[in-house]
Amino acid sequence: MTKPILEEISAAMQKGNRKLVQELANSALVEGLSASEILQDGLMAAMNVVGAKFKANEVFVPEVLIASRAMAAGIEVIKPGLASDSSEQVGTIVLGTVKGDLHDIGKNLVKIMMAGKGIDVVDIGVDVAPAKFIEAAKEHKAALIACSALLTTTMGQMQDIVDLRKADPELDPRVKVIIGGAPVTEQFREKIGADLYAEDAATAAEVALANMFTY
Amino acid sequence: MANKELLIKTLKHEKFTGGPVPWVPFAGVHAGKLTGYTATEVLKDEEKLFKSVLEVNRIYKPQGQPVVFDLQLEAEILGCELVWADDSPPSVRSHPLEDEAIVPCDCKIPRETDGRLPIVLNVMRRLKAEVGQDTLLYGLLCGPFTLASHLRGTDLFMDMYDDEDYVHRLLAFCTRVAKRLADYYLEAGMDVIAPVDPMISQISADHFADFVQGPYTELFDHIRAKGAYSAFFVCGDATRNIEGMCNTGCDSLHVDENVDLLAAKRITDAYNVALGGNIPLTTVMLTGNQQDNMKYVLDLYDSIADKTNFILAPGCDMPYDTPVENTIAAYIAASEPDKVREMVANYTLSDHSVAVELPDYASLKKPLIEIFTLDWATCAACTYMKYAVDAVMKDFAGKVDYEVYKYITPEEVGRMKQLGVKNLPSTYINGKLKFSSITPSRKDLEEALEQAFNEIKA
Repeated sequence: MTKPILEEISAAMQKGNRKLVQELANSALVEGLSASEILQDGLMAAMNVVGAKFKANEVFVPEVLIASRAMAAGIEVIKPGLASDSSEQVGTIVLGTVKGDLHDIGKNLVKIMMAGKGIDVVDIGVDVAPAKFIEAAKEHKAALIACSALLTTTMGQMQDIVDLRKADPELDPRVKVIIGGAPVTEQFREKIGADLYAEDAATAAEVALANMFTY
Repeated sequence: MANKELLIKTLKHEKFTGGPVPWVPFAGVHAGKLTGYTATEVLKDEEKLFKSVLEVNRIYKPQGQPVVFDLQLEAEILGCELVWADDSPPSVRSHPLEDEAIVPCDCKIPRETDGRLPIVLNVMRRLKAEVGQDTLLYGLLCGPFTLASHLRGTDLFMDMYDDEDYVHRLLAFCTRVAKRLADYYLEAGMDVIAPVDPMISQISADHFADFVQGPYTELFDHIRAKGAYSAFFVCGDATRNIEGMCNTGCDSLHVDENVDLLAAKRITDAYNVALGGNIPLTTVMLTGNQQDNMKYVLDLYDSIADKTNFILAPGCDMPYDTPVENTIAAYIAASEPDKVREMVANYTLSDHSVAVELPDYASLKKPLIEIFTLDWATCAACTYMKYAVDAVMKDFAGKVDYEVYKYITPEEVGRMKQLGVKNLPSTYINGKLKFSSITPSRKDLEEALEQAFNEIKA
């Protein structure tokens, strides 16, 4: 059963109360809980709840952003302990919006949700050229390449990323491409031959976790 | 009756008595596709914008149409850096209030001479003079919440928790900007003022009530006091905020495919607000075919038991590359639902093959021009294509064979299917597709005919 203080940390984080999250994280350390326990069962557990509520249309962008900020505040407190804990690596993902697309709210939500699952997210930003996605995946030894697009006119870039991924002999063949964004659909994924599609940020994190591997 | 009367009745919430429903195609940058201009050209050049929106009016026969669909116009004047594209509206790259939570001085509220406003206002005046008798013109402006997010960036969302007073003050400024823009647009002849606020789909109903409802009520009161109609546009899944939007006192509300139109209409009907929507932009308008568009619109039409207060419209700004014939199909279905029901039925019949003997194209004695139309008597684009060819045919009387078909009988549907006609209207010469959707110029047609004569001689 989860310790009461971890439940309190989770509750405070879900409300975005960063000051309380920091206080409780400190108290938990004093109580003798490990940093990784606080991370897993307090902070990441809270982000899973926020993700599920976001998916169910119970909370929205502002609530996710303040919860994420509270999570970052909590991690700051436990960081020294995290370095000494040997926690298992989940894997790495490179994430960006496609070339020509500057809309990053969706991408940032995906980043938050994935980080909440313990995935190491390398955010390569907005307006990213197809080749840069591939280069970043090689450089960071990523398991997944995640591409986001808001515009019907930029989603076509995803095809180039898929094609480049297939054509690059240096890229580990296990690396998959996951796509998402307002105009993107499962039919579109099928059409361009991408591996995975997620309809929202919370689903993206779940799908990504299920397809992670480490080198 | 002027074309626009149908829409006026709907905006006045008059009882629907059957037949066509009003149609408002949101051809923003897509207008440029009709005239061969890029998105950037139509948003920066008065002549190109005017020519393009005039073409929208000519081809799509709208009861109402926006003059320009660009949510970045005010943001650009207020200091946001834009990134331009050939096939979509510009995007905001930088947020001037990102590092400092301040409210701009009212001296920054756009003047008529600022930024691209002179272009927009001139085109509004010219379009009003040209088509205002027949079409209601929509002046679109950036909604206060989206404008605030353009200025402040993502931090606006966190400000809603950290500094509520600042959000109220920033939204009050953005509302003053919207009211000023509304005044300019009304002076330029706009009939409907439409704030467009996609960011509303990203917040809860509580936040809508706390921050957004007040500014919008003020804006719509202002528009009503000036004697104009209002339309509230939102994109994304704004289902939870539909009721709040109705509470702002708008005359009409427009939603995209993320919202269940029938569920939304139950709410808007309770408030006697007109509801526009919601042809899917990508899956139907951009990547679907003509049949998909007819069927979608007809199914939507048939699913709405009481069409009082209903306006047919794309979910939001149409993609630049939306095929012209898809938009025509939507318009035909809205204006001639009963006829389209027959067409869709006939299309199914054609799958059971209504055999037609096609001409022996390889052994023609003289060139054969065939025009395939939905129904050239009712489809404006089809009419123009037919008239353009008719005019040239006068000079070729006796030298060329000429047929015009309508897509309304099983035989003609079968003929089009056998020949592989994909889009209507289309012009074929000697059994080969020469012009799809767009009416050919006399020069283009004469050149195509010359080639056809040469083929037959050979």
